[in-house]
Amino acid sequence: MATEWIQTSCGMCYVGCGVRVQMEDGIALGIEGDPNHPQNRGNMCAKGKAGLMNLYNPYRVKAPLKRTNPEKGLHVDPGWQEISWAEALDTVGSKLQAIRDNPKQLYIQGWEITGDSHLWLHAFASAFGTPHYSSNGSPTCGKVIHPVEFFAAGGFHQQPDLHYCNYCILVGTQFAIAARASFNHILRDMADARARGMKLVVVDPIGGFAGSKADQWVPIRPGTDTAFALSMLHVLLNELGIYDAEFLKHKSNAPYLVGPKGLYARDPASGKPMVFDAADQKTKVYDDPTLKDPAIIGASEAGRPSFELLKEHVAKYSPEKTEEITTIPAATLRQIAKEFGAAASIGATTVIDGVELPYRPACVDWAKGPQGHKHGFHQCWPLKLLNIVMGAVSVPGGILSTGAAGKKPFQWFPEGGTDGLLEKGGNILPLPHPKAFPGRTPTKPVRNDLAEIFPLAPHFHTLLPLTAEDHERYGLDYGLEVMLHTPTNSLLGSFGDLKVVERFYRSIPFIAGFAVEINETNLFDDIILPFPSYLERFDFNAGTSSRQLGPCGQDDWFWQVRQPVVELAPGLRHPQEVIMELARRVGILDDFYRLINHTFRLKEPYALQPGRRYGATEVIDRTARCWFGEEHDLKWFQEHGVIRYEKDVEEAYIGPFLQARLPIYLEHFLQRGAELKEVIGQMGLDWDFSDYTPLSEWLPCPSYDAVKKGEYEFIAVHYKLPYVYGSFGNDNPLINELCERNPYAYGVLVNADVAKAKGFADGEEVWLESPVRKVKVKLKLTQCIHPEVVGIAGHFGHWSPGMPIARGKGVNFNSLLPTDLEHIDKISTALDHCVEVRLYK
Amino acid sequence: MANLTFKEPMQQANTVRVRVRFMGDLRAVVESRDLNVSLPQGSSVGDLLGALAGRYGDPFAKWLFTESGELHHYILIFVNGENIQDTGGVSTGLAGQEDQVEVIMLPMFEGG
Ligand code: SF4
Repeated sequence: MATEWIQTSCGMCYVGCGVRVQMEDGIALGIEGDPNHPQNRGNMCAKGKAGLMNLYNPYRVKAPLKRTNPEKGLHVDPGWQEISWAEALDTVGSKLQAIRDNPKQLYIQGWEITGDSHLWLHAFASAFGTPHYSSNGSPTCGKVIHPVEFFAAGGFHQQPDLHYCNYCILVGTQFAIAARASFNHILRDMADARARGMKLVVVDPIGGFAGSKADQWVPIRPGTDTAFALSMLHVLLNELGIYDAEFLKHKSNAPYLVGPKGLYARDPASGKPMVFDAADQKTKVYDDPTLKDPAIIGASEAGRPSFELLKEHVAKYSPEKTEEITTIPAATLRQIAKEFGAAASIGATTVIDGVELPYRPACVDWAKGPQGHKHGFHQCWPLKLLNIVMGAVSVPGGILSTGAAGKKPFQWFPEGGTDGLLEKGGNILPLPHPKAFPGRTPTKPVRNDLAEIFPLAPHFHTLLPLTAEDHERYGLDYGLEVMLHTPTNSLLGSFGDLKVVERFYRSIPFIAGFAVEINETNLFDDIILPFPSYLERFDFNAGTSSRQLGPCGQDDWFWQVRQPVVELAPGLRHPQEVIMELARRVGILDDFYRLINHTFRLKEPYALQPGRRYGATEVIDRTARCWFGEEHDLKWFQEHGVIRYEKDVEEAYIGPFLQARLPIYLEHFLQRGAELKEVIGQMGLDWDFSDYTPLSEWLPCPSYDAVKKGEYEFIAVHYKLPYVYGSFGNDNPLINELCERNPYAYGVLVNADVAKAKGFADGEEVWLESPVRKVKVKLKLTQCIHPEVVGIAGHFGHWSPGMPIARGKGVNFNSLLPTDLEHIDKISTALDHCVEVRLYK
Repeated sequence: MANLTFKEPMQQANTVRVRVRFMGDLRAVVESRDLNVSLPQGSSVGDLLGALAGRYGDPFAKWLFTESGELHHYILIFVNGENIQDTGGVSTGLAGQEDQVEVIMLPMFEGG
């Protein structure tokens, strides 16, 4: 029997590792990491290795279905009936046609990040004319990191420079150990960095996978990251006097003078922010060519430098006071700050490829954990500030920014803008990115997701279930009529309290969704369109690694095109072709082409032409040739898998080459806040404006207060498992087996000493009750969790009959979360992900 | 399709006719897919946008422009199929006989 190996891209998560699939007689028998692929260098994770089980899942949807039971509910049988593609597309097309004159009634849930669908649906939404497009899956993840990164570093996400870093602090993330983009690449870099002596400090309520690899695990009370970061800043700036003064003077807004109302002192003629030049004792505009030594401490008649205000502000957070908030001992915080400050090596330089660069081998990284709080933006921002004041952004050893710059196949690089600050992040695709500077001017909402009154947020979908409850309250005179969605299980993964989410999905009269298997979201569909496995698909975007989340530093830039390893099963169609067909049926195909041409930079002769019809492979082939030259067509990618280019120093370490300053003081928060107050006043809403401040302040989450008052005993938090991705992961038998063999996965973690004091035994089943849900859980006792915390992993708790392996296992964390305005960050729209709970028998 | 003529009705010879198409988020506030506009000869995209902002007021104007009057980074404008970023930005002239201008507000790519 002839064995053949086909190169393609893994689609079991958003990373997109290069893989080789072993084929015999058209059957896929095994998957290996591609050793020549720069993304994963031959490595694979358990999820990827289990991918064949998804391809050959007997419960996959292989034909369009329609619901015959008009009643909808979480546990209502839709009464599926198989139908033809013609009927399915006719039905969906006619529902879209019916709202053609009021297209904002369409909501597209476009988060399907393993392939092309999200960008194609993005173009569809724009051509159709709806603002309700969401390419964000989680109610927390990405809500702060992307907007912060675009205005404070220049790219999409951050990555510690493991090649040179000597001291790495992870806060609420299991970076390069159990999670994050370029996973299989950075895993090896992390192992190498630890082997060469990099100190790893993990600040997290749970001492999980990252904690177990750390030199030091520092348990922290959930929702207190702001206080930890501000106290670290206090020790560094005020007690130790360690900061990169040269960087702050010339590459940040630290010298911008701030007047008594918190706004910049501006030059009356030009409106530009002023600084005080200590060299000639004169006040000048920030970009005055004679400026030599902008002062960052002291005061002038015009105002005080923002850095001086920052120093004064953080002095409120002594380690002793902070210990009461975070539970981190003052001595531990001082020890970490001292080591971090020393490791940053302020003033040091290094030479790479003949170019002298600042060398700051210390950084703080954070991701999902700090974002998921009522005051999520300010939980995260001072963590970023720790890197900025050390001058450790986008330089060797510091924190790097993913996807920020490149020279091939196009040129892209971040740029400055308003007030000389970094404004336009780098992006290989000419698509707008979600930056929080300078923000948008608030207006009364037209959108059901209230985007207009979240002027600094990048994402808004968490508001949809709230407005669906009461449109009038928000001045909206319409609701969503039609929803299209990807196979992503948004009902279970994108919101919180299931009762609220159920009402939201029931409020939309017509829902059509793609499905690989029938998940809980699909249970609300009127029409299901089958979606191919990644091993049956062509995708120009094979995961996110090339575009936005590739390995940082001098590792090669690359692009891979996904190809199928097996024929598309009968009854399935390529999603790109389904989207084009729907666009044709509603009369927007030419507009859709225009937007696809823009999105993928397709110029003549490769641009899609009005009036023509294309297949998915034709579009991908055109795009490949347009980007990489005639010889690199789809066939070339099918033979070679991946194209790679070396990065030079300027692409790898953009900091010294950036013609813009980074922020340490968020003046625009005051401006947007004042504008918002006016709009909210006109709307007659109660609103919390406490986060519209230029310097972060720690404010408690509701769970913190509930535990303090003794109403509840624990705060529940979520953590990630390296072998589960998305809310479909554990329906794969191999992944389920891993979860079952590991008592931590489906169990709920609780501190062993606390549990024993309460009379709970390891493995015991008890009730876990949040303000909105009560569930039976199996306890797993461990020393590796903060005593006030309950830890819940993965994306479990399925009940859909279409997911028989996953059904009834583990806990769905999101369903425990109160879902109301009180629990939403008024800056980022993140839903608070720490929730007060009690445990009892 | 709505029609929009600015100031006094102008002589055909002195005007350019522009067909504006709204895509993306802007459709939600404009409540119309297409609009026919007559502008004085020599008008630019900036003039057109100013006129549209005058017609539609807020929130349209605020969705289009930053506080300092710049176009937001998520607004994309094509004149006769050419992205104005490649043709001089808002000073791009509207000179054709029957110019087609597409004003598109793209949703942000969000991630996460
Ligand atoms: S990290 Fe993601 S893309 Fe890579 S092998 Fe694992 S599941 Fe596949």
